[in-house]
Amino acid sequence: MSEMWVNMGPQHPMTHGLWNLRVRIDGEIIVDVDPEMGYLHRGIEKISEDRHYNEVITLMDRTCYVAGMAWEHLYIIAAEDALHIEVPARAQWIRTLTDELQRIASHIMWYAAFVQDLGLMSPFLYGMRDRDLVLDLFQSFTGGRLTYEYNRAGGVRNDLPNGFTDQTRKVMDWLMERFREYDALCLGSEIFRRRCDGIGVLKANDAIPLGVTGPMLRAAGVRRDLRKDRPYAAYDQVEFDVALADAADVTARYLVRMEELRQSVRIVRQTLDWLDKNPGPVLADHLPRWLGAPYAPVGREGYLLKRNYPQGVGFSSVEEPHGEAQAYVVNTGGEHPYRVKFRSPVFANLGAAKQYMIGYRVADIPPIMGSVDICVGEVDR
Amino acid sequence: MEPEETQAYLAPKLGPKLLAVEPFKGTAGRVRFESSAALDVFREVRDGLGYRHLSMVGGIDWVDHREVFYVAWTDDRKEYLLLSTDVPSTDPRVESAVPIWPSANWHEREAFELVGITFDHHPDLRRLLTPDGYEFHPLLRSFKLHEPEELEVKTRNV
Repeated sequence: MSEMWVNMGPQHPMTHGLWNLRVRIDGEIIVDVDPEMGYLHRGIEKISEDRHYNEVITLMDRTCYVAGMAWEHLYIIAAEDALHIEVPARAQWIRTLTDELQRIASHIMWYAAFVQDLGLMSPFLYGMRDRDLVLDLFQSFTGGRLTYEYNRAGGVRNDLPNGFTDQTRKVMDWLMERFREYDALCLGSEIFRRRCDGIGVLKANDAIPLGVTGPMLRAAGVRRDLRKDRPYAAYDQVEFDVALADAADVTARYLVRMEELRQSVRIVRQTLDWLDKNPGPVLADHLPRWLGAPYAPVGREGYLLKRNYPQGVGFSSVEEPHGEAQAYVVNTGGEHPYRVKFRSPVFANLGAAKQYMIGYRVADIPPIMGSVDICVGEVDR
Repeated sequence: MEPEETQAYLAPKLGPKLLAVEPFKGTAGRVRFESSAALDVFREVRDGLGYRHLSMVGGIDWVDHREVFYVAWTDDRKEYLLLSTDVPSTDPRVESAVPIWPSANWHEREAFELVGITFDHHPDLRRLLTPDGYEFHPLLRSFKLHEPEELEVKTRNV
């Protein structure tokens, strides 16, 4: 039979964002794939070169619009390294808390979108309902539901409000019960299992050279989680297990993410206990004046002090909900970062698409691409 | 692994093409090398030192020259290694890392279009994020988002 190229995208229910999956098919079989990215390229790395260090945080929220807090955290670690700034302990714990809340929100969003791709409409609505509870928590201390602008070089913008920890505990208890329902809806469903078992297999030996990270790699049985391997913030002081599966197919990725949701709840509960017992400052003292107070605009004379500030290069990596994100910030002593480079986990996971798509059928594309958890904002940047 | 150990391992294999192994916060060090030895360095770093995973490739425009940097990771020792090489601005090219680390494919395409670095023997060096036929390299310093505005204050003769 003759082969042909088919465009799935840029507007397609499977894409979740603006990108184009070009598929070469022979009848129903996928022969070749060529993802076409760039529809959402906003030049975030370029714009960062024209902004002050704290102003880049605004862009980080927009880099990945379902995991803004994790990207803020990533950037701010590298910026603090480049600028030689220390962070108080309470701010580190708050960052751990916000990272995990963000992971919960992001994974629930993934769940909702993924099951909708499979044609299950009710779980989508349940997922969106439960994610809103987490976004309400974010709103209570940042004022934003998606774009928070909460981290600052040297800490976080403000402390948590009164009653926040109790409210969060209630939400976590509610969510733990909902996760059971999620599993019952999917794993108990004959249709779900038939569409997902044994599809999109990406074994560890292929995944590691292709740069695949995050839940996709852990679903192949590789115990790799930066929160354990290279702890940042307060992750070395909390207890949790790395979620693992070994089938390396779509179902395995589902299982890994659901287990990660439960582990995140576990971490959130520990951070809440710590934060209840340990009040303190959340922003470092003696910040260089040109960085500005959290709210105050920075005056022109403030920038002049920067001239004598030491130069530096910062490198950071965090376990973002989609995988391993990295930032590389070069400070040459100017008012702005000289160069900012980000590594997006989805960028690498999608770059490996040939490996886990060729040989499957056209109807398998939505479950496979759904299980990658694509966020186009961070691929294109 | 300390930067000195990395240096001691790489130096006999690469000779003068290895410029230095510097300490770098949060990593096992930064390997500086001549761009002509790129493939040998990649091979030694992957096979000899066990860095099987390449996380990212990026370029920096230093105006008088350009820098290409690589971040590699090993699962054996759970650490990063930075590689960095300088290429001239007039002819910025370096050997592609795709034969050693397939994950370099998209990262090099991105560095090619944004920083204008050519990767020799790359299997598919097309633009990735910007449209085909786009003729600029946006992350070069010469690509200005806006020129500083010069305010011309006109005094009116009253």
